[in-house]
Amino acid sequence: MNDAALEVRSLSIDYVGRNSTVRSLDGADLVVQPGEIVGVVGESGSGKSTLAAAIGRILPTSAERSGGDVTIFGRSVFGLDDRSIRGLRRKEIGFVFQNPISTLDPTKRIGKQMRDALAGTGADIGDMLRSVGLADPKRVLSAYPHQLSGGMAQRVAIAIAMARKPRLLVADEPTASLDRTVQATIMELLVQMSRADNTALVIFTHDLRAVAQYCDRVVVMYGGRPVEDASCSQIFDSPLHPYSQGLLAAAVGVEDQGDQLKPIPGAPPVLHGTSIGCSFAPRCTFADDTCRQERPEMRDVAAQMVACHHAERFTERITDLIAARMPDQTEATGA
Amino acid sequence: MSLARFLVVRLAGAIVTLLVVSMVVFAAIHNVPGGYEDVVLGPLATPELRAQTAEKYGLDQPIPVQYVKWLSAVVHGDLGTSMTSKTSVSSELARRIPATLELVLLALAFSLLAGVPLGIAAGLSSDSRFSRATSRLAGSLTMSIPDFVLGATLVYLFSVNSWWLRVGSYVGITEDLVGNIRSMVLPAFTLGLFGVAVIMRTQRDAIRGVLTQTFITAAVARGDAPRTIIRRNVIRNSSIPLVTIVAVLIGAFISGSVIVESLFSIPGIGVFFLNSVRNRDYAVVQAAVLLSATVFVVANMVADALYAVLDPRVGSTSAARGQK
Repeated sequence: MNDAALEVRSLSIDYVGRNSTVRSLDGADLVVQPGEIVGVVGESGSGKSTLAAAIGRILPTSAERSGGDVTIFGRSVFGLDDRSIRGLRRKEIGFVFQNPISTLDPTKRIGKQMRDALAGTGADIGDMLRSVGLADPKRVLSAYPHQLSGGMAQRVAIAIAMARKPRLLVADEPTASLDRTVQATIMELLVQMSRADNTALVIFTHDLRAVAQYCDRVVVMYGGRPVEDASCSQIFDSPLHPYSQGLLAAAVGVEDQGDQLKPIPGAPPVLHGTSIGCSFAPRCTFADDTCRQERPEMRDVAAQMVACHHAERFTERITDLIAARMPDQTEATGA
Repeated sequence: MSLARFLVVRLAGAIVTLLVVSMVVFAAIHNVPGGYEDVVLGPLATPELRAQTAEKYGLDQPIPVQYVKWLSAVVHGDLGTSMTSKTSVSSELARRIPATLELVLLALAFSLLAGVPLGIAAGLSSDSRFSRATSRLAGSLTMSIPDFVLGATLVYLFSVNSWWLRVGSYVGITEDLVGNIRSMVLPAFTLGLFGVAVIMRTQRDAIRGVLTQTFITAAVARGDAPRTIIRRNVIRNSSIPLVTIVAVLIGAFISGSVIVESLFSIPGIGVFFLNSVRNRDYAVVQAAVLLSATVFVVANMVADALYAVLDPRVGSTSAARGQK
């Protein structure tokens, strides 16, 4: 099969309120190949969660699609009738959410919920739990969700999601509500299980460090659409979009010793329709009239995809910056 | 905390509640201007006669002493003697409880049988402005009509043409079942209509609330059919607030039964109680209050226990309790 695991094409989603309409996705594009592990990074309000929900067509009722489509292994998610979309969700897509305890029914024991969720798959529940690192399945099965730790509940959720061997796993902030110490193990578990089953994994997160460690490819979202799409090393070594650069400068864990974290000034935009120019322009130090008037589309610059009118400027700038930082680094390692 | 310990704590609380209620009512009824002797003897009686009557019934003693005497008798199963009818309070109650009990249960059944399905339908129905407006209007209308207005209207309407039903000629359930039903439909409807609105509203809001929860989204994402999700996840989770409402409704129905019983001339404890207050028939007032307070407290205890069964987070001390 040559179809991509996931293909999002110029998808626009609005949240329609009583008095105003807010655009959450503004012509978003994203392609994920079978077995690929992709991290989608962005601030709150960048449209990450909406994109994640759109993949399974599990958007809230206030969401309205004003254009574009999502296809999963060649099947249009928004074109399917209710019955077929349920089949697609059951067989092809797995979902992992942010607050693991609240994704489980509070009134039922884990065992009952797993039996319900896995009915007909033939999966052995005990084996499933052991495979996600829960060594004592008996105790977990007789527990209620509130009796589990966040990490344990997320392992249960992953076990449920993976039991049907989906070919696409969507994880929306899977570690954001967990302890720092548990985050890494959950991330590793997701990646390891996806690799083992050759499942395509899309992780939506604000945690750049996690993405750096585990993903093949990074997609940076801003203003409701990806603005840069490149391999992990490209993003971290030579970010071309000014927003990616700002994000890296503001991220904990990827700075050099002695560096200061630099917040990006301003706040993410609230769109009410298709943005005319570049949505990052108001916060961008390099913005000019072209940026404000012409919408930058994704294009290939130095073998990475970026939506910025002036990306070429940075291919040189980055080389300069790296050159300029060399003495710093030797100093840091020397000290 | 285990379920057993949870219930023991609730039981202790219930006993304290009953004691306090009986004390407050005892103090209140004895301090209302005009005692039993005034009611029986009238305004022109001599002080000697009053004192004599008071002494006869022990009313000359300090109120705390009277209370302790009453309480120790109650603990031994003696509710005292009605001063008006000179019969034992327990036998009077036993004669009147069945009618009230039937009325309250019928009203409750009506509220649940009509309110729950309506609430589920409203909760699951599309969020259109029209359906929201109509259900809100219907809800507030039914909730704001007082029992006596509704009851009086029905009495008026059905007195002109009874349409098989009966107004004001109560027949006991043991005498004639069909006749009993004919005489109880209107009272139960009058008493229960408020409950229908309250239950419908609670059920609707509970379902709306549950539908926004992540575990519902997660079930949708797994590919479960709406019917399965409603049956498996929505109904049970949305029945939790209902339990509390039913307990409160039982209390409301008991007090409401006083009015409905007098409107439809049903020989229950409501009318009996009303007359006993007027006559300062202390033993009857005390017994009736104790009875309704007990029913109310027990209903709430059952609700708490049921709550703990329906929602495993109740009575648990897990740190995850506050998480939603």
